[in-house]
Amino acid sequence: MNVVFAVKQYVSKMIEDSGPGMKVLLMDKETTGIVSMVYTQSEILQKEVYLFERIDSQNREIMKHLKAICFLRPTKENVDYLIQELRRPKYSIYFIYFSNVISKSDVKSLAEADEQEVVAEVQEFYGDYIAVNPHLFSLNILGCCQGRNWGPAQLSRTTQGLTALLLSLKKCPMIRYQLSSEAAKRLAECVKQVITKEYELFEFRRTEVPPLLLILDRCDDAITPLLNQWTYQAMVHELLGINNNRIDLSRVPGISKDLREVVLSAENDEFYANNMYLNFAEIGSNIKNLMEDFQKKKPKEQQKLESIADMKNVKRLLQNPKVTEFDAARLVMLYALHYERHSSNSLPGLMMDLRNKGVSEKYRKLVSAVIEYGGKRVRGSDLFSPKDAVAITKQFLKGLKGVENVYTQHQPFLHETLDHLIKGKLKENVYPYLGPSTLRDRPQDIIVFIIGGATYEEALTVYNLNRTTPGVRIVLGGTTVHNTKSFLEEVLASGLHSRSRESSQVPSRSASRR
Amino acid sequence: MWEPQELGAVRSHLSDFKKHRAARIDHYVVEVNKLIIRLEKLTAFDRTNTESAKIRAIEKSVVPWVNDQDVPFCPDCGNKFSIRNRRHHCRLCGSIMCKKCMELISLPFANKLTSASKDSLSTHTSPSQSPNSVHGSRRGSISSVSSVSSVLDEKDDDRIRCCTHCKDTLLKREQQIDEKEHTPDIVKLYEKLRLCMEKVDQKAPEYIRMAASLNAGETTYSLEHASDLRVEVQKVYELIDALSKKILTLGLNQDPPPHPNTLRLQRMVRYSATLFVQEKLLGLMSLPTREQFEELKKKRKQEMERKKILERQVVLESQQRFEERRSDLASRAANGEVVSLRGGPAPLRKAEGWLPLSGSLGQSEDSDPLLQQIHNITSFIRQAKAAGRTDEVCTLQENLRQLQDEYDQQQTEKAIELSRRQAEEEDLQREQLQRLCEREWEREREQFRAASLHTRTRSLDFREIRPFQLEPGREPRTHLAYALDLGSSSVQSSAAAETPNPSSALEPARVWSGPPALGQEFFPQSMISQQNELASLNPFDEEDPSSPTAEGTISPPAAECSFGPSVSILKEYNPFEEEEEAVAGNPFSNPDSPAPNPFNDEDEHPHQRPSSPPVSGNPFEEAPCTNPFEMDSDSGPEGEEPIEEELLLQQIDNIKAYIFDAKQCGRLDEVEVLTENLRELKRTLAKQKGGTE
Repeated sequence: MNVVFAVKQYVSKMIEDSGPGMKVLLMDKETTGIVSMVYTQSEILQKEVYLFERIDSQNREIMKHLKAICFLRPTKENVDYLIQELRRPKYSIYFIYFSNVISKSDVKSLAEADEQEVVAEVQEFYGDYIAVNPHLFSLNILGCCQGRNWGPAQLSRTTQGLTALLLSLKKCPMIRYQLSSEAAKRLAECVKQVITKEYELFEFRRTEVPPLLLILDRCDDAITPLLNQWTYQAMVHELLGINNNRIDLSRVPGISKDLREVVLSAENDEFYANNMYLNFAEIGSNIKNLMEDFQKKKPKEQQKLESIADMKNVKRLLQNPKVTEFDAARLVMLYALHYERHSSNSLPGLMMDLRNKGVSEKYRKLVSAVIEYGGKRVRGSDLFSPKDAVAITKQFLKGLKGVENVYTQHQPFLHETLDHLIKGKLKENVYPYLGPSTLRDRPQDIIVFIIGGATYEEALTVYNLNRTTPGVRIVLGGTTVHNTKSFLEEVLASGLHSRSRESSQVPSRSASRR
Repeated sequence: MWEPQELGAVRSHLSDFKKHRAARIDHYVVEVNKLIIRLEKLTAFDRTNTESAKIRAIEKSVVPWVNDQDVPFCPDCGNKFSIRNRRHHCRLCGSIMCKKCMELISLPFANKLTSASKDSLSTHTSPSQSPNSVHGSRRGSISSVSSVSSVLDEKDDDRIRCCTHCKDTLLKREQQIDEKEHTPDIVKLYEKLRLCMEKVDQKAPEYIRMAASLNAGETTYSLEHASDLRVEVQKVYELIDALSKKILTLGLNQDPPPHPNTLRLQRMVRYSATLFVQEKLLGLMSLPTREQFEELKKKRKQEMERKKILERQVVLESQQRFEERRSDLASRAANGEVVSLRGGPAPLRKAEGWLPLSGSLGQSEDSDPLLQQIHNITSFIRQAKAAGRTDEVCTLQENLRQLQDEYDQQQTEKAIELSRRQAEEEDLQREQLQRLCEREWEREREQFRAASLHTRTRSLDFREIRPFQLEPGREPRTHLAYALDLGSSSVQSSAAAETPNPSSALEPARVWSGPPALGQEFFPQSMISQQNELASLNPFDEEDPSSPTAEGTISPPAAECSFGPSVSILKEYNPFEEEEEAVAGNPFSNPDSPAPNPFNDEDEHPHQRPSSPPVSGNPFEEAPCTNPFEMDSDSGPEGEEPIEEELLLQQIDNIKAYIFDAKQCGRLDEVEVLTENLRELKRTLAKQKGGTE
């Protein structure tokens, strides 16, 4: 279950099947991203692919001496572009691959446009997702939900991405979802629908234990994306932002021209092995400096974080001029999420402090939005068990000596969920199966999907679980991969600004403490 | 941790697509073919010299004309036909249109289309000649349209009337023909380029095989042949370079300049060709020069001989051992002692067994001094017995026993060492490349002797330290001289055996190599203790206290041998060293830095500057990357554990799959065995984890 390899194999197959000769790869915006995640330029050059073109580009020359490999999402626009292309072909021969299921009528209209018989292949290759790491995939959808419900376009794209993933890994799974999330249920149903409709596609060799698809909602753990993530990849994402394994360094002062955009490719790398990335050496020093700056800045804040339980400390921290507006807001969010229902919750006071500190309204609004997004009311499970609270306090107290720090000790909630799942102890009343059948044995092949985005820290968790649990293979996916900033954008996009905008259809669950 | 993964699901729509396309295309193709056939008929006769009426008859026979009365309006423009707006028939499909909507086909154009399948060239018409312009020229005669005798007017010598639809179809067909025939320059060049690349892929491995063999001093391939091949491969590289450069600059001076995409394509082709050359050329090792090759051959021959001798030695030794055991048994039986000679994997060595042969080898052939000692004492005992000196026999026998014990212990060590060395030898082969450079350097160093050896040893892998520390041990030649003397001297006085000018025996050996001195440096303490021990054991000490200096200088090598691995091990070790030294002088020395044109460096041969050790000794320094082998040997030991765990995990997964498979097929006994296996693996894994964490 290696998603990078799965997509790469598709691309390799396309290129191989087109035979020798100069080739052009004709893609759309999304498939360009998909291919670039799994193939480097020099690698693909070796396979005689010399040009990369967008199907929607108007400035394409007629080059009859090239073979065209088209890798496109089966959207209406793409089909239209392709019809135009086939009516007046620019290349000698066309190998057409759609990244997902295409309708018969589209195939017919394409066939009718191909009067010159330039099409040599029409296939579906299900590489319809961004393979970030061998066991992490993303759909690059930011802001998938309006309120608590899916945007229709996002739901359809997510369903397509998820079913394509299943097909590319040849898995026909049983589905479990997070009961507290309407969106999770909806997505589970949509995926099931596709599986039922395309049943002949999903006929794979049966395995002893059927694979499992677990659909979660980000709002169940809003803490993880708010914390700093301390793996290398996560740090880079937090500080610089990674988009399709590309880092935009153009804002770094004094950066040389070649380094404006750096590709961070972990393709040939065991994920996180030694925290080393092949193409990273060049920007190593830049990153190192940035990291050092960051660390210089952070510990001061953390030292005082020792007992976040102590409200005064949070207060004092907020007054510390060195704490940035963003971090201050983040701190209050963490506090708020933690002590949401606590009797002596002094959130209003902290909010006042934020205002006094001059934190912009945008951030202050975000605090309530985050609570609305990921507060207890919506959480299906208990993020902070009493035990956790003690453990966290303990961590705060002891964790600040030396290199260890609070943030590295945070275990994403996903870890517990998956741990229970692997051991067959995940409660069915919280994470029910879709449909009547349930899994008798412990699951072996697991696909976890987080609506609202995964994080690199969770990817690390999955990686570690894969390594330490023999016989269990887990792949993690999300509508996107978040850092704190993008997560807050996600929260903003969901439009949950205040409690007053109640979404009554969400079952209000009182968190049951263990 | 990733198990092999098959290609994901796919679904083909090709048959569906073809079905739909065929429905449309069939019609189209039939139409085109019909038109072409008619066109052929229409142009098959000499139009210019045929009467127009006759032409018309022929035309009507090709395709039935639509009845005039049936078509009151022009189907294309809708104008009413009249006496002024006359009807015209398409000669290809027989339909009717007005003059305005009429098209014409020139004979050359018709010719081109009809002959396309037969002979394609020759009749290339440029667009300006094509009927569109002809149409314009016809305008002049429009005034005469109204004439009743328009039939005469319509006599077209060199054109054929047709409708727009037929014309369109034919034009499309023409385009297709053009494309089929026309091969752009870039394609021609590119095809050549690919051919060259294929050739390289074919020839380069062959050459590398040859060069490696030659550099090892083998005579499987001839040097001339190899260098010919090298030249050939290099030429292909140059061709690739030239071709890709040509592609890069195609049409650059054209006006208007080529489309940016064309230029991009050219750049990319060039770039990938450069990548190709860089990557492949880097692996193309150089050949030894003629002199070097002779040298290499000699070295290899020597080594082969040495190996042969070793084999013979083993045979001889086994004989010797047999004899020895007999004599020992005899002597011991007399004393009532139990003899326990070890057979072991390590053969006992007797100096006499192979000494005569050692002459041809020079240097490194040696015997085990202990064994000689034992042998000598045995003969002493025999003589003492013969002389009837029983007390002396007693002392000697006690002495012999101790020596025997010592020797046994040494043999055990030797055996252990041997097995370890075997493992190491495999490692050595893997690290050979690295060693090549290191050795070269070492040779330089060895001339400086002693102290410098220290640093070198340290810089090497840990495993190598042992042999080098013990290097002095391979010096027992000193001792050999001594032993020889002993053997030849009479038994009566061991002192006499001892005395023969030790200095003269030692001196040449010292010149040959310094390590004895070094050995003392390394093992001062152990040597002293050994020396003492020996002193107490050694009968010669007692008998000849008058030559302490001689004893002092002589015994160290013996002492070393007694606690280190045996001499023979070191000896075997040596050839390796030498071979590599010799090889290191040259191969890989030109790993071409990836300059834009890698051929520039080609004639620069490394052995032109062999005297500067850092350059010739460590060719990898020039390479763009750091020596990869160094990393290998560094990370080897640490990297092992996790890999093993990974393997275990994989194994577990595999076995799980097998079990599942077996279950499915109902092979229950197999399931049982596999499950047992799985359990065991899991246990190992758990243990290992416990160990590592």
